[in-house]
Amino acid sequence: MTADQLAAVAGRPGHARGADRARPARRQTSVATRQHRAFYMFTAPWIAGFLLLTIGPMAFALWLSLTTFDGISPNWHWIGLANYRELLSDSVTWGALGRTGLFAVTSVPLSIVAGLALAVLVNRPIKARGIFRTLLYLPAVVPPVGAGLIFKQLFDTNSGATNGVLDIFGINAVAWLSDPYARYVLLMTVLWGAGNVMIISLAGLQDIPRELHEAARVDGASAWRTFRSVTVPLLSPVLLFQAVTGVIASVQTVMPLLLASQPPPGGVTSVPQSNYLYMMHVFAEYFAYGRFGYASALLWVLFVLILIVTGLIFKTTSGVVFYNVDPEAKK
Amino acid sequence: MRSHAGAPPSRRRFLALSAGGAVAGAAALSGCALQVAGAADSGGGGDSITVMVNEGDITDDQIKQAQKELGIRIIRVKYDVTRLIAMLTAGRPPELVRGVGATDAPYFAARGVAENLDPYFAKSTVLEVDDLDPVNDLWRWDGKAQGKGPRYGMAKDFSQDSMYWYNTALFDQKSVAYPSATEPITYEEWLEKAEQLTQRKGGQTRVFGGSYNGVGLTVNLAALTAAAGGNLFTDDYATIDFSSPEARKALTWYVDYAKTGVGPSLINPNPDTWDGPTYMANRMAMSNSGYWLGGMINGDEKVAKVSRLAPAPRFAGGPRISACQAGTGFWMPKKAHNKQAAWRVFEWFFGQGPAKDRATGGWGIPTLRSLRPLMPRQKDYQKQVVAVQEAELKHFSVVSFTPYAKVEALDAVINLIIPAAMRGQMSIGTLIDRLNDKTNEEMKRGKELVS
Repeated sequence: MTADQLAAVAGRPGHARGADRARPARRQTSVATRQHRAFYMFTAPWIAGFLLLTIGPMAFALWLSLTTFDGISPNWHWIGLANYRELLSDSVTWGALGRTGLFAVTSVPLSIVAGLALAVLVNRPIKARGIFRTLLYLPAVVPPVGAGLIFKQLFDTNSGATNGVLDIFGINAVAWLSDPYARYVLLMTVLWGAGNVMIISLAGLQDIPRELHEAARVDGASAWRTFRSVTVPLLSPVLLFQAVTGVIASVQTVMPLLLASQPPPGGVTSVPQSNYLYMMHVFAEYFAYGRFGYASALLWVLFVLILIVTGLIFKTTSGVVFYNVDPEAKK
Repeated sequence: MRSHAGAPPSRRRFLALSAGGAVAGAAALSGCALQVAGAADSGGGGDSITVMVNEGDITDDQIKQAQKELGIRIIRVKYDVTRLIAMLTAGRPPELVRGVGATDAPYFAARGVAENLDPYFAKSTVLEVDDLDPVNDLWRWDGKAQGKGPRYGMAKDFSQDSMYWYNTALFDQKSVAYPSATEPITYEEWLEKAEQLTQRKGGQTRVFGGSYNGVGLTVNLAALTAAAGGNLFTDDYATIDFSSPEARKALTWYVDYAKTGVGPSLINPNPDTWDGPTYMANRMAMSNSGYWLGGMINGDEKVAKVSRLAPAPRFAGGPRISACQAGTGFWMPKKAHNKQAAWRVFEWFFGQGPAKDRATGGWGIPTLRSLRPLMPRQKDYQKQVVAVQEAELKHFSVVSFTPYAKVEALDAVINLIIPAAMRGQMSIGTLIDRLNDKTNEEMKRGKELVS
């Protein structure tokens, strides 16, 4: 094919065949443009919101973390990485971080196991299954404020129902909302909301093809073996999802801590030491101490830590999580 | 690369447009904010001002009343220190802000964000300086100490918060002698009485013998130290010294109070969150809430009939003082836009209709001397309360607070450290050392930001 012929096929102006081909090409571009425009138009509010309400504040917090800004005092100034250096040597921060880590590694597995156990139970063909599912899920629907207040009343040393029950058995009252018991009450609040995990696990369980369980049964596998070798592997993406979101949520726990604490004038830092988790420390630095710079540095460190932990979870579980993907769909 | 009409926008261009949109959105949002705050500059329907308060401070009815009587529209925003900081930073603060005189006044005055109200008082025919109760001195700051110098605000009502209410029925149940109405008992005696009055069953406290938490932990400890004859702060208010004999005495007493479990504390929190409901439920024999709680007590005649007010205790050998730990009122930010309208509302709120309503309700002592006759004294029990209160006014004193730290910050430090001592896991000596270290770290940082 000569250069002229190639040019003709490509649609040089004036050439009849080229002009014929140009028309459908323009129509195609027009459709694609409309699609692009629609896409960008519909996503623009979210992108604008993301920039305005997420990236903007994060960048502002990063800038704040390099200053001594407290919102009111006149002599605040730029201090570079001093807040981050202080953070590294702050025993209160490390203590809070350690307690938060402990809380995450305790509460997340506990709530996943409890939620999965409940899901397995209510997945069985029992009577009034819907009612049980609803009842078990209800606590997750109760607003955190309501739940916090309920727990505070239940576990109050002097008037709480829990100590009332202990009193019936002649056991002396326990100061549940103080150290060292407060941490157990906090764990109970987490388990109380396990209905949330249950619902997601239940959806995962119902997605497992029944034939696989039947095949295992035909092969003589016990119920436990079937659960271990069929159910859990097929549920592993769901469990991974719960682990990741659970860890992120647990390190950001603040509401139950605030609700179980004394209100002002006791203030935000009147939470028992055992429940003085990282976010509580951040909260105190912002709102009690007014150290916007230092608190912002704490938040940025937490953000990076969450990224690292999430990455580690993905990396360490890659060999044990099985995705039920249609091989044809990949093509 | 230049984009042209009809071509799909590139990702870069799209992000640029989004950023532009975000900026435009921000401008629009701030425009909205300006419109709200800008209403204070009068918007055709008369003046309007923004007031940052708690809901009960100015009621809906009072807002209507202000519109009718003053022709000023009050835009009420909920008190929130973070929001206040945002508004101050943006240069559009509220015209009036709620504040606690005892602790907020030096903090805001020292940072130059509060308006000096002396010129306004000088011209006012409603709020005359001679008529101001000494409690308003909490809102004065001369650059070094509280109680002297220009006025930066005014208290709406007040209590002498070391005074305590007691329930005679609960005293009778335990055959404990009533405290004198004229002579203060000692703090040691108060604690003994509280122990005698406490009712327990199965390790649970059914009736608290007494609550002595005051308005907040730091300010309570400052008042206790003053009652022991000292000052929690050094002369320049730049450091705290818990190791002085007086502060040590105060701290030891408060830790003992918590250890005995006779009243709510950090290690024995009150589910009611404050003394009022517990006292009203006949589950608290004594409460150092001051006259202010009378507003609630008067609402239930059964409780009111068995309630008495007693003078503030003193330490054996210590001076007789009776401080106000709050003196809650309003201040005006220096950058407020509609100061004249704000001052008119200030005058009305502190000297006219709302002030008279507060005085007659028993919710605190009026901060204008001329309004004192309005304090409720129709019934016998009210007469007793007013008599004790009026005698106590002679012992009123200002306990100065540091300008270098937020009271919440000092409370936070103490809250973290003191529970171990309350549980007997830390000696008083160690507690003092740790408190001195941590509170002074906070004070040092604060001083650097101010001076």
